[in-house]
Amino acid sequence: MKTKKMKRCAALALAVILALSMTACGSSGDSSGTDGTADAATTAEAGASADATTTASGGTFTFGCDYFSEYIDPSVNVNSAWSLVRFGVGETLFAFDEDAVAQENLCDEATTDDYITWTLHIRDGITFSNGKDLTASAVVACWEMVYEKEAAGSSSAPSQYLPDPTFTADDEAGTITVVCSDVTTNLKGILAYPYFAVIDVDSYEEGVVDSVIGTGPYVLESYVEATSKTFVKNATYWNGEVPYDGYTAIYMTDSTTKALAIQSGDVDVVENVTTASDLETLKADSAYTVESTAGGRLANTYFNFEGMLANEALRQAIQYAIDDETMCNITVGGIYTAGCSVLPSSMDFGYDQLTDPYEYDLDKAVEVLDEAGIVDTDGDGIREIDGENINLVYLTFESRQLQTFAEAVATVLNSIGIGVDYQVKDYDTILGLQIAGDFDMVSSNAIIVPTGNPDAFLGNFYSGNSQDYGYYSNEEYDAAYEKLIVSTDENEKMELYVEMQQILIDDAATIVHGYYNSSITYKNSVITGVKMYPLDYTWITTDWAPVG
Amino acid sequence: MAKKIKDFVKKYPGFTVFFLLALCVIGVAVFAPLIATHDPYEAVLADAVQAPSAEHWFGTDKMGRDLFSRVIYGARTSLSASLTLVCIIMVVGTFLGIVAGYFGGVVDAVIMRISDMMISFPGMVLAIAVAGILGANIKNAIIALAIVSWTKYARLARSLVIKIRHRDYIAAARVTGSRTSYILYKYMLPNVLPTILITGFTDIGSMMLEIAGLSFLGFGAQSPTAEWGLMLNEGRAYMTAAPWLMVFPGLAIFITVVVFNLLGDSLRDVLDPRHE
Amino acid sequence: MKKRELTKRLLQIIIVLFGISFLTFALTYLAPGDPVRAMYAASGTIPSEEIMEQTREALGLNEPFLTQYVNWLTDCLHGDFGTSYAFSKPVSQLLLARLWPTLKLALVSLALMLVVSVPLGILSATHQGGVADYLVRGLSFLGVSLPNFWVGLMLMYIFAVQLGVLPVVSAGQGWKQLVLPAVTLAFAMASKYTRQVRTAFLEELNQDYVVGARCRGIRESVILWRHVLPNSILPLITMLGLSFGSLLGGTAVVEVIFSYPGLGSLAVSAITSMDYSLIQGYVLWIALIYMVVNLLVDISYGFLDPRTREKR
Repeated sequence: MKTKKMKRCAALALAVILALSMTACGSSGDSSGTDGTADAATTAEAGASADATTTASGGTFTFGCDYFSEYIDPSVNVNSAWSLVRFGVGETLFAFDEDAVAQENLCDEATTDDYITWTLHIRDGITFSNGKDLTASAVVACWEMVYEKEAAGSSSAPSQYLPDPTFTADDEAGTITVVCSDVTTNLKGILAYPYFAVIDVDSYEEGVVDSVIGTGPYVLESYVEATSKTFVKNATYWNGEVPYDGYTAIYMTDSTTKALAIQSGDVDVVENVTTASDLETLKADSAYTVESTAGGRLANTYFNFEGMLANEALRQAIQYAIDDETMCNITVGGIYTAGCSVLPSSMDFGYDQLTDPYEYDLDKAVEVLDEAGIVDTDGDGIREIDGENINLVYLTFESRQLQTFAEAVATVLNSIGIGVDYQVKDYDTILGLQIAGDFDMVSSNAIIVPTGNPDAFLGNFYSGNSQDYGYYSNEEYDAAYEKLIVSTDENEKMELYVEMQQILIDDAATIVHGYYNSSITYKNSVITGVKMYPLDYTWITTDWAPVG
Repeated sequence: MAKKIKDFVKKYPGFTVFFLLALCVIGVAVFAPLIATHDPYEAVLADAVQAPSAEHWFGTDKMGRDLFSRVIYGARTSLSASLTLVCIIMVVGTFLGIVAGYFGGVVDAVIMRISDMMISFPGMVLAIAVAGILGANIKNAIIALAIVSWTKYARLARSLVIKIRHRDYIAAARVTGSRTSYILYKYMLPNVLPTILITGFTDIGSMMLEIAGLSFLGFGAQSPTAEWGLMLNEGRAYMTAAPWLMVFPGLAIFITVVVFNLLGDSLRDVLDPRHE
Repeated sequence: MKKRELTKRLLQIIIVLFGISFLTFALTYLAPGDPVRAMYAASGTIPSEEIMEQTREALGLNEPFLTQYVNWLTDCLHGDFGTSYAFSKPVSQLLLARLWPTLKLALVSLALMLVVSVPLGILSATHQGGVADYLVRGLSFLGVSLPNFWVGLMLMYIFAVQLGVLPVVSAGQGWKQLVLPAVTLAFAMASKYTRQVRTAFLEELNQDYVVGARCRGIRESVILWRHVLPNSILPLITMLGLSFGSLLGGTAVVEVIFSYPGLGSLAVSAITSMDYSLIQGYVLWIALIYMVVNLLVDISYGFLDPRTREKR
């Protein structure tokens, strides 16, 4: 009897110990992770009342951001390249300032006589975060690797901006000679694009997220897939002291979570809170600053011209059916400015000379469909083309309210008998499907002047490049584009911009949703120096410093 | 007749009340077009995210659709989905269970091993995988949940059949040359039905929750369907600014599940006298 | 538990795992979409059809279904669950990294559930028909009828947003991150379990020996703690093992809501990115965990139950 009891007690005791050890394990993890931030936050708050502008150093901060890519890598795809620069790990030879002008960065001198052969001098004394010197040949090795991977099928596409260049390194002189295939006046702007960010090729292993070593102020230390990345400061950073010991980027896909997280103190900075109501709240609260820039980003939906959308009447009807003004001002709460052309109205590309023949008119949309014989004959509520129900596969992802635009478009189109199969996926998947042509409509949100001018963006509709963007093709447009990329005359370029924009509008080539106003929100009591650049592949810089 | 009903009501007041309530919920679904004040799919983009008012009793969602009408129509989606699901698993499970119990042997072994497999596995996990892989829509969500939920009924039916399989009257029926299908239908089915029905009714609520859960994760109903789980997911983005987008669909699920759970509980009292 | 029984149970586990593996493999095999394309898409590359065909050949995707299944299963048995397309890492490595957070969450919610539901269940059973009983039953009824994701969102709204005492995002390692997800999970579970505790206790309280003990004038508390509690522990432990299953299923929803870096949120992201090997690995792992837990329950049963023990 006694032993039985003993055993029973022992079993119970064991269970209790197990439960206790569980909790103990849980709390022992406290010292690391976000609690460090909490400490920083409280000390910073104390200091903030005295003087909010003085800065201190040390400590860490947390940054809530969208999950665009697992990789921080110039060679995987657009998002991985952007992440490399945005997270402050990789740097480019030139970097855009607040006025979107490319300034010297890793390169301190660029010379050319004919705009074909350029000589770039690499700034002395720069090392990668692993201590290796940044030599001219290291830069060339990296670029060549990215070009090679592009040739092998990677969607990182540096040749979209700089086709067929040759790079020659001269380590003695510390210079790189770039020979462009054609007149390239904007080389500085092109090399400021994240595809040209430099990483140490020797330590890089394809597909290994943390094998990427750059020259930037922060170094990737650890990561949890699809959840977070932790960065530490680059002790040997060339451009001044790094104010923080490190930071943690926490991925959060929905905007409300971002807004809640900064309000609850989980994170100190968030990028692009896009729900209107949340943004209003944050703007109204003096504890936060919302930094934003006027719309240099276009939200649009590409059509696949190799599917049902080759039908012009269908495209026109879609254009008539969509009420941009309401969608921008109400559906997404004013974080976009409505417009009809791919080039933003806030920029100087002749927006006011354009005419939009497809002003919102739902009745007109129905009329166009009926006239073109796109009608519902079998009574299922869906119109048919050649006896086949219209069912457009609409791919979208949750970023900057693209999903909401897509949903609104789908809802409206459904109401006039155009079937839409609306699918939300993650961005990497969407990109793959888009390039493979497995879609009818696909959401996009891109910077229009990625290298300082819109030429490359307009190339998305050039028949030589458009295979990745739905196979749009128009001879007039192609001719204008070919003229545009070699032109050095500003007036001629402007005329071409207007002509090309009007062709796209007339062809109903893409749905233009509007122009996005990028923003970063931060807690005043914790962090200072946060800036939003018009070309938003700059996020984290050494200007971001603790308040102290 | 009237007296019988009166007696029944007196004897089972709980069941009567919950039965009427369940009828109300079903009535809402059936007569949704009459109750709804607006077309639940009509998006007036300009009227997005409005607070509850005389015009829109529960406010409007982000596409400017009337939330009250959507919640009402949501009863159709949620109810029909969960009733379909329960019917499928009840029919399939009972059938397989009776067959397994009556024939025994290899048939029994195969059916029961498959059921073991399903029962020794967290259903929701497999349902998420199935719904995710087959593609996200409400039909696949139902299939996914059916795959993992039928086993309960099979086991119940089997154990009940085994209990009476060797009774004299069954043997007598067999000897007199009754066809097997007749025996299964005439003797086995009535025997298992009460227990199966009780289980089925108590399951409606939990199945509704699971369907809503899948929709919430994005593996069930897809936009723009009026479905409560999906509406909750959509409302989540407006948690602080427009809490009604989360409150009303949540309440709708809650009330419906409560009604059906209570109905199931009280049905047990009616059909299963031993229980008291 | 006897040795023979143990072997039998182990054999059963193996058969079930085998079935599950077949089911998951068949599902992913039948799934729409091309795994090779998905694989390339994840790394942002769409090579020519020729290269994709070569990859298919190299990965053995052109083999007949059964050959593929056997190959895959053999690899799994060697601990190789394939490589995730989206993260280009071995699946087992990814799952392993997420295993502890999910287990931690599940165990903490389990502990929480026990702490709440056992006393409430006992209270309710011993005061059958009283105010306490009605209150507890009402509460537990509420608990089983509320969708857990809604409870999670509401808790988030109240404690993280309005009161600001707990974090919105549970991506870190601290115990604070665990509170809301664990409470959310425990809420529905505790409601169910309270009812089960009550039923088990009531059944035991109505046994003849309890009536007899009462007649002999033994104090109610002695009856309760010495006799009723030990006797009702067994069915409760079995139910605990079974609850672990719904707990593991529930973690997916809760992890997504609170951005908790566990197996569930990984699986959900794997599904959106069509990362099939990761999904297969996840399903198998969860099945394995669940069955091991239930085996342990059965073994502990042998230790705790005087009747099964004496048979040895």
